Amino acid sequence: MIRSPIRYRTRVILGVVGVLVVALAYTWLSYRQHQINPTDQTIPTWQQLAAGVGKVLEVDEFSGDRWLVTDVKATFYRLFVGMASGVFLSVVLGLLMGCYSAMEALFHPTLSFLAKIPPTAMMAVFFVLVGINFEMYVCMIAFGVMPSLAQTVYLSARNDVPDELIHKSYTLGASQAEVIWNVIYKQTLPKVLDAARLQMGPAMVFLIAAEWMVGAEGFGYRIKIQQRLLDMRVVYVYLIVLGGAGFLLDTALIRLRRRLCPWYAE
Amino acid sequence: MPVERSSTAPTPVFDPTQPPDVVLELAGVQHSFGDFHVLHDLNLKVVRGQVAALVGPSGCGKSTLLRAILGTHPPNNGRVLVNGTEVTGPGRDRGMVYQRYSLYPFLTAEENVAFGPMLDRTTLPFRAFRPLKWRAQKKEILAEARELLVRLKLEASMQKYPHEMSGGMCQRVAIAQALIMKPEILLLDEPFGALDEATREEMQEMILDLYHDNIQVQQEGGVPPYTILIVTHELNEAIYVADRIIGLSQYWNWEESGQAKAGPHRCPGATFVYDAVAPVFHSDNEREMHLLNEQRAEIRETVFNESLVTIPAAGVTFWQQRYGGGASQ
Repeated sequence: MIRSPIRYRTRVILGVVGVLVVALAYTWLSYRQHQINPTDQTIPTWQQLAAGVGKVLEVDEFSGDRWLVTDVKATFYRLFVGMASGVFLSVVLGLLMGCYSAMEALFHPTLSFLAKIPPTAMMAVFFVLVGINFEMYVCMIAFGVMPSLAQTVYLSARNDVPDELIHKSYTLGASQAEVIWNVIYKQTLPKVLDAARLQMGPAMVFLIAAEWMVGAEGFGYRIKIQQRLLDMRVVYVYLIVLGGAGFLLDTALIRLRRRLCPWYAE
Repeated sequence: MPVERSSTAPTPVFDPTQPPDVVLELAGVQHSFGDFHVLHDLNLKVVRGQVAALVGPSGCGKSTLLRAILGTHPPNNGRVLVNGTEVTGPGRDRGMVYQRYSLYPFLTAEENVAFGPMLDRTTLPFRAFRPLKWRAQKKEILAEARELLVRLKLEASMQKYPHEMSGGMCQRVAIAQALIMKPEILLLDEPFGALDEATREEMQEMILDLYHDNIQVQQEGGVPPYTILIVTHELNEAIYVADRIIGLSQYWNWEESGQAKAGPHRCPGATFVYDAVAPVFHSDNEREMHLLNEQRAEIRETVFNESLVTIPAAGVTFWQQRYGGGASQ
């Protein structure tokens, strides 16, 4: 039946089966490829993948660093600062637009226009205007997620808080700043966190693409180099780490939302 | 003409020997939306300690009038005064309880009640930059909120969010939220409209208890703490909880009285066609249905009857009844 619930145990078993099917399909593909070419590295065996894990964790003889540690630090620091800046900008702009019609008239057309331009297409502009340093990655992520995130905050501030609650706040002695901070922001917070969580994926796309093009460290850079060397052992390990990190970040943000907004019905 | 009825409570809060302590005053209030005239020349004085019910047919402008008093939609003409000060916007001297959206969904019951004092007694920079002092003050405010919730029999729901409470509990908390601010007047806009019959009766009894607190305080020589204006479409409810019924209606003799300023055959807006004392009940006593029925029939005839062209002065008898005409409406 459509939407009929299933037991938790069945859900877990089906989840495990899904993972096993993918793992088995990969094993079979890898086996077939190695029957044709025993030295193949495009679809590495599980042993080759284990060797790939060892390679990304061992100290590099030229740089003296471990690849994975260096790249995780670089990529996630850029992601964190970029997302934090983007979320901050979006919340400020979105709340101003949702609260004041003049701000809405001022920013909404521009944001709607910017939201239509893929940030990866804007990379050339960022390279020219900001350079190819740390600030470029931050700007790209911040301005990449900002248009759609700001619009989410704006719509939530405008539609999710009934006028009655705002009027009531004034009868309780609230100032305009208190209405924005203590009422409108508090009520839009779960939507902000959910929207930020959903923007994490696009932010990673912009970041990996920029690292791929101009990076000297980071996931995009390392995947590009290893792909050119056809060392897919490292590429797959990096992809698995990216997937795992994305999953952890997603879970962490859901938990943060549940902790900060226990009142919010999912 | 309505006559003063006997009441089941011994002492009304209204003392006819004293000059009225007017909390809310409407002076020539008129309002229209473009060409559509809603309110016409409304004049009213509500005295401290009264529970006045505003009734009228659908679309007569009850909510428009309440919004004008609240200050969110000022009238086109005339003045609304609370405690002698003209209303220019919503303020903490008027408490408000709506039928829906009464509580902040992100706050628990006790936090909802404490929200007003928190805003009133501290500032945003204080709460942001002096966390230790703020924490101590917050404890005091929350204790005060809990005390009020206990009085309203909500001790079991203090930590609950609005979505975890029933409609009746939410409205009770909403009333506590407004009362903790000690407003000059509490405005209730169809507050029990969405509740089931049993909960509605409980809430009505709560309003009666507040009224009897007024009587008790007054008997002890104090100033009655609660003045309430309740908008309701339930006539029984209006008569049961209020000590004064005010009827607003568009069905009045505006053509004959030369008030057709809006143009031929166009009503210049609703006006007060009924204003009379209501019997005072006590929440512990049985509801005396004959008292309710008598006045209900009278209000139906005067306020709700489309075919009857009411002369406003005939139904507006409150001051005559209380002062013998010594004070105007």
